Amino acid sequence: MTALYGCECCGLVSAAPAGDAQVQLRCPRCAHPLHDEKPHSLQKTWAYLAASVLLYIPANALPVMTTSNLFRDTSHTIASGIAELWASDSWGLAIIVFVASIAVPLLKIGTLALLAWSVQYAPGWRRFERARLYRIVEGVGHWSMLDVYVVVLLAGIVQFGRLANVHPEPGLLAFAAVVVLTMLAARSFDPRLIWREPDEPTP
Amino acid sequence: MSDPTEPDPAGEGIPPAAAEPVVRRRNATRLSLVWIVPIVAVVVGASLLINTLMQAGPHVMIEFRTAEGLEPGKTEVRYKEVVVGRVEAVSLSDDRKRVQVGVRLDRAVSNMAVEDTNFWVVRPRIGMAGISGLNTLLSGAYIGVDAGNSTRSRKHFVGLEAPPFVLRNEPGRSFVLRAPDLGSLDVGSPVYYRRTRVGRVVGYTLDPVNDELTVQVFIESPYEPLVTQQARFWNASGLDLQLNASGLTLNAQTVSSVIAGGIAFERLPGSEGLAAAPAGTRFYLFDDRKAALAPPDGPALTIRMVFDQSVRGLSTGAPVDFLGIELGTVQSMQLLYDARTQRYPMEVTADIYPLRLGKVRNAMLQGAPAGGAADIRFLKQLVDSGLRAQLRTGNLLTSQQYVALDFTPRTPQATLDMSNGVPRVPTVPGTLSELQPQIAEIVARLNKVPFDEIGRDLQSTLSQARAAIRELSPEAQKALAEVQRTLGSVQASLQRLDRNLLDESAPVQRNVEQTMTELQRAAQALRALSDYLQRHPETLLRGKRADPPLADREKPR
Repeated sequence: MTALYGCECCGLVSAAPAGDAQVQLRCPRCAHPLHDEKPHSLQKTWAYLAASVLLYIPANALPVMTTSNLFRDTSHTIASGIAELWASDSWGLAIIVFVASIAVPLLKIGTLALLAWSVQYAPGWRRFERARLYRIVEGVGHWSMLDVYVVVLLAGIVQFGRLANVHPEPGLLAFAAVVVLTMLAARSFDPRLIWREPDEPTP
Repeated sequence: MSDPTEPDPAGEGIPPAAAEPVVRRRNATRLSLVWIVPIVAVVVGASLLINTLMQAGPHVMIEFRTAEGLEPGKTEVRYKEVVVGRVEAVSLSDDRKRVQVGVRLDRAVSNMAVEDTNFWVVRPRIGMAGISGLNTLLSGAYIGVDAGNSTRSRKHFVGLEAPPFVLRNEPGRSFVLRAPDLGSLDVGSPVYYRRTRVGRVVGYTLDPVNDELTVQVFIESPYEPLVTQQARFWNASGLDLQLNASGLTLNAQTVSSVIAGGIAFERLPGSEGLAAAPAGTRFYLFDDRKAALAPPDGPALTIRMVFDQSVRGLSTGAPVDFLGIELGTVQSMQLLYDARTQRYPMEVTADIYPLRLGKVRNAMLQGAPAGGAADIRFLKQLVDSGLRAQLRTGNLLTSQQYVALDFTPRTPQATLDMSNGVPRVPTVPGTLSELQPQIAEIVARLNKVPFDEIGRDLQSTLSQARAAIRELSPEAQKALAEVQRTLGSVQASLQRLDRNLLDESAPVQRNVEQTMTELQRAAQALRALSDYLQRHPETLLRGKRADPPLADREKPR
């Protein structure tokens, strides 16, 4: 059986016999790998998701930033930062940080897990909505880096010796890794799997 | 490869444009390498968490009397100003008498949770002794810790209520200063040597039983050998401003010691090379540098002086002066009762330092060691040659008095009285007080004059006189009328007398005139006779010649 492959890189359509796992196809024009579906898509998605879930724990448990002034050093975790913003009546900022730093990564992880799970165990369920969900998840992903940007900017700017000082903490690294991993997970998930019929062989 | 635009009708439903991909063989792998990512994530996440958990050291409970200034999550535990932990919880003990402070120590100092570790609370002090205190003032209290050496671990501690004087194992040496007054010193006040900070005040104790104030100072390593037995400590707080013959002198240690107080010390000149004083050596804390570096006074000799006069104006610390040299100070004054004379003499006790007499003393005592019998013998000699104590006014404005030891001429013989162990120097009344009793005597005599009685007598006399006059007044009026009449008759008599005697027509006058005329004539006759006799002395023998006739008489002329 012959299948058609569109090159993801240069758009050239090629035809080759389908279903042979031992064969790697490449675009005749630009040498980009060609495949029915992204290889090991589900595995990768699961792996990235697992890694991001694992790192999500230190990302929230450890402080992301330490501000020090003349008198004391104060470490902030993401949650304590939000609590502080909320307590100081900066509700808008608190909500933004909460959405960007806690809600979005969590929802992203949950959504991707749902998508990956449904591909394996409920392939026929609400395909259209799942496809739309995937598009949203992919689009919204990088906004979670907001926190990282803020801390990195602060750490770069606020360097007044003993007077005031901001420096990042290991939690920030973990948090950035979570965001990157969820983006990778979203990228590695192949939305075409949503539309695959149950009897088709898994790649 | 075919032209993508060319249709391929032979293909099984495949668009003719489809190109043919490059085919390569590869090893089939069921498992993606991507699983390395979660493994790395596990390792990284676990290492981060473990690292954090590792940093969290032991949790200890410390009991304090009060939790003033301690805030959970904020108050730090500091060892040598390094944060080694944080207060996590503050709660009351079961009996509500004390507070229990839960502290999470850092992992690095987990060996601090041992038997003999001490914890105390450093609260803000209203003092300016150093940045650490100032820091505390702004940052709030923290818990200080002094790590113990024991190996037996412990989780429950009873905190000290005051910081310990010196941290364990801190290199240096502590000394004790006996001080008359604390001044502005406080725990943490610096100790200076040549205006360099070499130590600090670590504490002070006021012994309520012996009434003695001691200040503990700690000289930090490597400066402790600077403190020799000949070191002189003085209170370096504030400014020392002196106006004297050589101009204005302003002495101060560092600015911070002016504000925050401090102690300075110096070695006496010529005491280089002395061995360092052992820890705990006691020194005296002088008031200022001048006093500290003054030549040693040697041991004080306590003397007594009994003054039979008021000591108003004499205060403790007033100088005892010997011919202008300040020999010592007044230590105390005590009222005595002399049953024999029924008087209240004042006993003044003073400490004098015979060494201040310098050469004189050496010459008289042939350099006998200071103190004890030699000085008393010396004093005896002086008293025998007329040394007396006298109260004198040092300042006329404030009438402050001092004790002058001086050789007073014309004073009764006296000796040094050693009756109760303390030599008693005989006294003479002060110049002012000599005058006082005389004035007092005059006043007393004046007082004895019975002005009241005299007044009373005078008054009664006057009233009696008035009464008598009132009684006598009718007779008196009669008498007065009589007197008037008498006077009138006297006047009439006088007028008569006047008329009879002094008037020109008065017979007496006339008689007197006649008499006088006759006397005149008689005198003329007598003269004529004497003239005649002068010219004709023979008439005395022959008698008078008969007068010539009148015409003849005229002729010879």
